[in-house]
Formats: sequence, structure tokens, C-alpha cells
Amino acid sequence: MTGLYDHFAAHADRSPEAPALIWEGETISYGELHAMAEEAHAELDGANLPEDRPVGLRARKSPRAIALVLAALRSNRPFLLPSVELAPETLAKLFAQAGASRVLEPHGPRSESTSLRAIGDPSADIDSDEPSHWPPAEGADGVSFMLTTSGSTGLPKVVPLPAEAVDRFTDWAAEQFEIGPGRVVANYAPLNFDLCLLDIWTTLKHGGTVALVDQDKATQSAYLAELVDGAKVDVLQAVPMLYRLLLDVAREASRDFPNVKHVITTGDKIPPSTLEALPELFPNARFYNIYGCTETNDSFIHEFEGLADGDVPANVPIGKPLPGVKTLILTEDGPALEGTGTGELLVWTPFQTRGYLNTSLNAEKFGAHPLGEPELTYYRSGDIVQVHENGTLTLEGRADFYVKVRGVRVSTQVVEQAILEHPDVVECAVVAVPDELAGKKLHAVIRREPDSKLNSLTLRKHCAERLARTEMPSTIEFVTEPLPKTSTGKVDRKRVLAQLEEMSHAHG
Amino acid sequence: MDDTERKIKQFIVDEFMPDVSVDELDSDFDLLTGGVVDSLGLLQVVAWLESEFDVAVDDSQLGPESFRTVEAIKQYVEQAKETSSA
Repeated sequence: MTGLYDHFAAHADRSPEAPALIWEGETISYGELHAMAEEAHAELDGANLPEDRPVGLRARKSPRAIALVLAALRSNRPFLLPSVELAPETLAKLFAQAGASRVLEPHGPRSESTSLRAIGDPSADIDSDEPSHWPPAEGADGVSFMLTTSGSTGLPKVVPLPAEAVDRFTDWAAEQFEIGPGRVVANYAPLNFDLCLLDIWTTLKHGGTVALVDQDKATQSAYLAELVDGAKVDVLQAVPMLYRLLLDVAREASRDFPNVKHVITTGDKIPPSTLEALPELFPNARFYNIYGCTETNDSFIHEFEGLADGDVPANVPIGKPLPGVKTLILTEDGPALEGTGTGELLVWTPFQTRGYLNTSLNAEKFGAHPLGEPELTYYRSGDIVQVHENGTLTLEGRADFYVKVRGVRVSTQVVEQAILEHPDVVECAVVAVPDELAGKKLHAVIRREPDSKLNSLTLRKHCAERLARTEMPSTIEFVTEPLPKTSTGKVDRKRVLAQLEEMSHAHG
Repeated sequence: MDDTERKIKQFIVDEFMPDVSVDELDSDFDLLTGGVVDSLGLLQVVAWLESEFDVAVDDSQLGPESFRTVEAIKQYVEQAKETSSA
């Protein structure tokens, strides 16, 4: 079976002049990228690293970084590709956990020198008390990419992906979005994100061109608009924020992007106000929402029909399973859901990992299920979904956010959404605090606009129009300091709760 | 606003909404739908009514309807007083 690298090399042989990457306004051809990858591979090969151990890559997005990943693929060596933004200590732990023999980084994005740089003393770089979990209990066979989850607390989890799984995914994506020679795919996500399996790795496997967004300019809307326009992007996959940014420019300069043919939103719920403006921004495009995660890769797709006619769903459907994807929806009481209703989504995909590298984490997320198809290892998504009559699914919230208040199941996420709809609210967290009588009570912590007169009464009036009585917070607290955040910038409810518990102990 | 009404508002604000001033609380604001007073809070309100206004609240009258708004609570107190003085 020929893998991703062989396909890439075959394109380079056939059409060395074809553009592989667009970076900082310059084009790097397949021939050039191939030469860079071969050089990096020769160096990797010459380092005499143990065959059966992974390498760690510390690679900020650049052509050299992409060549380095290609070199690792060429050597059939597993490689851990974590976020370069992580703290050095966290990175060291991750590399140690992955059993990396060496950590490599590309030596300057466009420098003349092609040498890979082992960071410092290779043994020191991986110096950490963190035990190695390599090889994975489920088998090291054919593992290529090892990505990490963006866990909010603790060490990110390492997700080893078998090369075959990556191959199946990149073939699906190429067919679905017509990715091949002559097609330009924008890459917005950082290099360590699973989204790159679509926009970078599918494209290079199938002979297309990747227009790379410089990570340092990812929030500059004029730069982004110029890239989409200048590179003549055909396929665009990004989190909703990119579309928000492009809209800002487009509205100011009344411009649009008629060349774009496929627009994919993923990673987060797209706000209706952004969604409804997409057809005006991309007059010739088809629009999709993709649902997935690092563990399973993409599992659901929804194509929006009739956005241009104002058919804008408030709750964006995650749509229907990708070909080959199996699902199981468990209702609260246990049995599998048949027909319409609500439950937690379990999913198996042809693209998924065999399990986390740290197998002790697998028990609660991966496993066969007596109600599912035998021999399939399902992934517990933690997402509560609603199944509609036409078979389409919508997300109702995270299972983690459901709490029982006086015996009634309430999603703290739904309550937060309602509070956030108040224009004076900057951010908020709703947590369930233990209560002697009620078991749990909802407590809302709210940061309001600096000069806002919002108080608990006006907020309650606002919420009463949007929430059921059981969803109404029992206590409301206003704060002036920003709420604690996770590493990905989301409000950290666990820390909010921990702070509350500390306070209540302090006050007896 | 008469004395009873002010006292009731003051109690509710002190107990359940310390960041709100008495004048902001409308007499017809739905305390239950607004999540200000829940079924447990209701017991607090009743205990206070009994001691503050010296009225007896029969458990069978403890329906939430009697205590949905400040106005409803006031009417309840006034009726209870009449009954006990009659």
C-alpha cells in the first residue's frame, strides 16, 4: 500500500513545477518542496535514531516545517506533533510520554541551511519524570501522526493515528471537496491541529496547492482577505472566527470572494449572524458544517441548502455520518435511541485512533458497546445530540455540562447562552454548587460591561424570557475581574467552581 | 407603597437579591418565573411572614400562587390578618 508520502513524491515527479505551497506571497513548487523533504529525510536518516521509536517535532507552520513532517512520513517513523505554544515543561512531558528519541525542529523557515536542529542536548530536551507510554498497547503498527487533544485541564492527551486511517481520511476529503491538481486549499489552523489532515495533508497527497496562513497574522482580517483573494483559494476550512474576520473586511470594502467553491465551518458553533452573511461573502460557494474531533477525525457533515434564501438554522445541524461512520446514541436511561430523541453520541469512524497513547485514559472514552456493532471500538463523544425526523442531528450540549437540579436535568451551557445574550454581559460561567437541601443549585458568575447597571433583577427578567424555571440560576454574582480561562481561551468552569468552594470554606 | 409592601420587598431584596434596590422590584414581578424565590426559598418567605406579621400559614395554603409576586404576598398577609382579627 502506498502512503501519503509516495503520492506526494509521485506528484513531484510528474509535475515538479506545479505549486505545492503559497507562503508569504511566494510559491513553492512540488519539486522544491520534494527536495526540501528529501534533504530533511537524509539528515533524519543519518542521525541513526532507533528505528522503533518516535521522534518529536517542534514545528511552527512554515514550508520547512511541512518538509520536516514529510520527511518523518517518508521514514515511516511515528512522530509527535504538539502545539509549539505549549509551555516548555509541558512539551518535554509530552515528548517523554511519546517515547521520542529526539526532538527536531526545522532550521528557519526559508534559511539556506537545510539542517534540522535537535534542540539543545537531545537527552536534556526530553528530560522529564513523565513515564514513556510508547509503544501503545493497541499496537504501534503503522502509526504515523501523533496529535494531541486540546484538553482544558492537565496534560494534553496523545492520539496516535495509524497511517491507514489517515489515508482513508485524505481520500474521502479529496473526493468530497474536489481537491487535486490546480485546486487551492487554504490552511488556517496551526500545523498541529487535526484540521490540517484535510487542508494540508489531503491537498499535498492529491497534488493541489496549500495557501498557508501565517500563524502570527491569523487575526489580521486584511491579510486574510488578501490571502484568500490573491491565492485564488477554492476550498476554505476554518473555525467560525475566520469568517467573522473576513466579513469585517468585506463589509468595509464591499468586496466578496467569488473564487471560493467550498466553505467549511468546523470546531465551534457558528453564530447565525455569521452564517447568514456567508452567501454574500462567497457568492459561488457551497457551505458545510463538519463535526469531528482529534480522536475520530471528522465524523459528520452537513451541507447548508438555501442559506442564500435566508434559510439559516439557529441551531446548526452536525448533519449526517460520513461514509463508513457508525454511530450509537445512548439515551439517559441506557437503551440505544431509535428514531427521534436525545442522547449521548458514540461514534466509530474509519479514520480513528486505536486509543490514547496513555492507555489508562481509554476506559472512559473508548470501548465496544453491547448495543453497538460487535468488534467496533466506539468513541464516547461526550456530546448530547438530538435526532430529528429527517435523520439529521443537532448538538444540544456537552454531557459534562448536564447537572441535576432538584431532580431535573439542566444544561449549564444553555443557561450560559441565555445570559450571554444580554448585551451588557461580557462573559459568564454557570456552575452547579452543592446545596444541602436541593442537592445542586445553579450559580452564575457574570462579568458585565464596565459601566453597566445590570443587576440580578434585570438579568432575571432577561433570563425568564429565555429559560425554563428549572434552568434559572439560584444565585447570581457579578465580578469585575476576567473569569479564569483554559489554555484554549475558554472560560474554565472547573476553576470557577474550585474558587467558589474555597470561598465557602473560608467563610465557614 | 404602603408599609407592608415595603417590608416584603425589603425582605426579598435582602434575602435573595442583595445587589438590587427596593425601588427596582416591581410589585407584579413574577418571583417564581424569575428564579428569585424557589420552592425552598418559599419556605423562608413563609417563616418570615409568620414571625414578622404574626400570621399563621396553613400548609394547605402553601401553593406557589399565593406567593408569586410581592402583590400576592401582600394580599395574603392582609387576608390572614383580617381572618385572625375577625
